[in-house]
Amino acid sequence: MKGVALLVGATFGFLVAAARLDSYQVIHDMLLLREPDVFLLMGSAVAVAAPLLVLMERARWRTPFGGVMTVQRNPVTRRNVLGAAVFGTGWAVAGTCPVPALAMTAGGSVLGAFVAAGLFGGIALRDRMDRDAETPPPAC
Amino acid sequence: MDLLPARLAWYIAGPLMGLCVVALYALANKPLGATTAYSQTLSAARGKRFEAWRVWLFVGFIAGAFVAALLQGGLSFTTSYGSLGRHLPLLLLVPLLAAAGFVMGFGARWSGGCTSGHGLRGSASLSPASLAATGTFLATAIAVTAVVHFATGGAL
Repeated sequence: MKGVALLVGATFGFLVAAARLDSYQVIHDMLLLREPDVFLLMGSAVAVAAPLLVLMERARWRTPFGGVMTVQRNPVTRRNVLGAAVFGTGWAVAGTCPVPALAMTAGGSVLGAFVAAGLFGGIALRDRMDRDAETPPPAC
Repeated sequence: MDLLPARLAWYIAGPLMGLCVVALYALANKPLGATTAYSQTLSAARGKRFEAWRVWLFVGFIAGAFVAALLQGGLSFTTSYGSLGRHLPLLLLVPLLAAAGFVMGFGARWSGGCTSGHGLRGSASLSPASLAATGTFLATAIAVTAVVHFATGGAL
């Protein structure tokens, strides 16, 4: 299980950096609607994964390390939407998001490390608020 | 040594990232997502209970990006930050980026996911929560970027 997570994480991190999703300018130009590449990247990822997940779930795919595959689907809640609006605001300012911020840092960006540090801080505060309210966040 | 192109094309990187989502489900029955990986890594660092696989996922993100950087010409320690870095002094840039990271982290955890957990994994799962969250953060980010663009006279 740990080896699978490491391998998948490494492949994902490699692709994020190789596709330059760790560049402020690439994300900024995407959000200014100046270039379609990142939208196409996200769309093609979903277009490839979605039918495979449906087919494997219908076939009751038995995984080597985790039993029968079950795909998480959650109903829309207020926190999904409000949290996403807050996330989108930070994303627009920083021009990066959680994995690309790590990729920036791994590539030598000092400022990427400050974004990652901020991410840890925001996540820690929200986790603490959820613990105090005894409402665990939905795992993603 | 540049063994990788300057930028891997979307039609190669995108489908492969989709296959990462499928692989983690197919091999381990686990959802790919970065926000919870950050959260669990923080728990591990604090000596609290944590899910080890999520910490290994987090380590993998960094290791993979590090290898890509090496293959794209090597590490370059830099304080540059695109057009934002050209228009703001470093003393202002550091707190701004840390604050933006904080806002992102808070929002992603509140929402239950970010661009990877909702935008890729959740959307590929056709999860209503993820589809709503993805639409919301994309619309918000595009709107905020447009406001900043016009407020700065097109500088950003």
